[in-house]
Amino acid sequence: MNSTWIVAEKELLDLRRGRLFAILIGFLAVATLISVAAASADFRNQLDAYNLYVANLATSGSTVAAAAPQLFPLKLLRGGVEYLEILGALFAIVLGYGTIAKEKHRGTLHLFLSRPVGRFAFAGGKVLGLSIVWLGVVAALTAVSLVAVVTIGHAPIQGIDVARLLIAGGFAWLYLVFWTALAVGLTALSTRLSTGLIVALVIWLAFVLIIPQIGDTMDPDNQVPGGLFATLQIQKPDELAVLAQFSAFDGIRNGLEASSVTKHFERLTFAFLGIKDQYNQQPLSLMWAAMLPYAITLTAATLAAVVFAALATTRRTLQRKQS
Amino acid sequence: MNTILTSARHEILCTLRARVALLLLVVFLGMVSLSSLIGWITNTTVTRVYEKILADGLTTAPNPFAAVSALYYSRNSVIYVVLIGALMAIILGVQATLRDRKSATADLVLSRPVNTVQRLIGQFLGLGAVIAAVLAASTVISGASISIIMGAPLGLDPSVRLIGFAALSWALMMIFALLGMLTGLYSRKETTALLVPFVIWSAIAFVLPQIGTAARPVALLNPVPALASPGRGSFDLIGAVTGPFTITEQFKRAASIVLRDDSVTGSPWLSILLLVAVLIAMTWIVVVTPRRTLRSGLNE
Repeated sequence: MNSTWIVAEKELLDLRRGRLFAILIGFLAVATLISVAAASADFRNQLDAYNLYVANLATSGSTVAAAAPQLFPLKLLRGGVEYLEILGALFAIVLGYGTIAKEKHRGTLHLFLSRPVGRFAFAGGKVLGLSIVWLGVVAALTAVSLVAVVTIGHAPIQGIDVARLLIAGGFAWLYLVFWTALAVGLTALSTRLSTGLIVALVIWLAFVLIIPQIGDTMDPDNQVPGGLFATLQIQKPDELAVLAQFSAFDGIRNGLEASSVTKHFERLTFAFLGIKDQYNQQPLSLMWAAMLPYAITLTAATLAAVVFAALATTRRTLQRKQS
Repeated sequence: MNTILTSARHEILCTLRARVALLLLVVFLGMVSLSSLIGWITNTTVTRVYEKILADGLTTAPNPFAAVSALYYSRNSVIYVVLIGALMAIILGVQATLRDRKSATADLVLSRPVNTVQRLIGQFLGLGAVIAAVLAASTVISGASISIIMGAPLGLDPSVRLIGFAALSWALMMIFALLGMLTGLYSRKETTALLVPFVIWSAIAFVLPQIGTAARPVALLNPVPALASPGRGSFDLIGAVTGPFTITEQFKRAASIVLRDDSVTGSPWLSILLLVAVLIAMTWIVVVTPRRTLRSGLNE
């Protein structure tokens, strides 16, 4: 345990000294701020359009008006969550790759392995160090998100909102550790360093971008701008009744989406933050009950990735000569 | 001229030997092949959904898919160029310029009477040939898939449009290949050389369009572009400023018009001109790289 902690401490020190890490985190923080600013500006535009509509109604003497758009503070974070699921995963891969690559490049790996250290000390220390780093990053991004919602979004935050945000932060941490551990294992297994990075990137492309995109493309309601059922003026109960007869197709589509760990993270965070209308303003107990399978699969995927990193990062794989 | 051809030939050879680069090419070609199939399955299902709605008497509206173009089935290829194609081009570009620096063969090559501009143009052309070959293969696959789906060979107009789409894709991918070449030349670490263009790609593909249109990152994975539309308050002004820099959205716009996607209207020429201008600017920035930069070593 001692040598594991020493490796973790060294990892933290290296990342604190390097500019790369600061650039990545700065980029994520700026992207989150921009997404909150864009979402709140979009909401203000909707509100202005609604006020204009109400004023026009009043001028024409009508008293019937549609419900005003409501601001739900945590909904402003949708873009930030999406940045984390796409770019956060990408940056987690790069940091995971970098942590093994630097030791191989500098030759410090051979020095470390010449010492009497445990079988899992190196991999354990690296993953532990990066997990602590991601915990700090998620904490910082959570704080940035809260401040952005209050100051840029001008939205009131309550205690329950903070609790929801902290739960979403916990899932974000698991998600980032998953990608980092996967990259550590793949880089350790590859004889050419860039191979590990590129294979991890191909997996990232497949599971973060391509599979969810295919699932989205196959959604019948996404085939027409504004939605197929809205275009054909079909009511929601009729829509559900029609779609029930195409359950096999929808099952394949949903199965594709469910095969991506990114979708599990997205469904969890969208539910707890109330971004998905179905769960907006619902009690936490109801969300835990509905989202438990996703929470279990995300946790299991992260554990599997950590175990993979530990098993793949052996003396033999680390010391293989580059082909 | 000899330097250019030799460098180009060497670049093609190195790219073909790199198994990982080939893996990315296979992924790209595989996805382009799949996109027609996915489009066909979805269109067939949605048509059945519409027929069910019609049979139940829930609508009298005409089938919105009755008159879709044959090229509708390849619309997803647009997003695969932006996602897979651009990242593949970045990796090829980084490897092209970083290779000599990593193995210190840059010193040996530049000890010969070699003009650096010709050397870099040669590498650029080599990469361009590889990417053009991949796009040619993907165009043939798309054309064949659509012909099978439609039960008839593609006509002249759709074929020309598919070739036009491939040309646009080449321009976009070469911009990102040049970006990779640039960071491969200037970065001190391999990790930075790969990471910096990824960050720039992320900013161009996700952050800039969001600033100008309020489109969410995941919504930008849609093949339909998220260009600024008038009457959206502050987004009008910001969109006008950021629009020319969002080259991925400009590409999506031009490609959607070329592929006759009805949801995008107007002329594609402004978007095409912007892409060509960025390509020329990037080429110039890369080829004027000083000799000492090509010879600089790596820190890791």
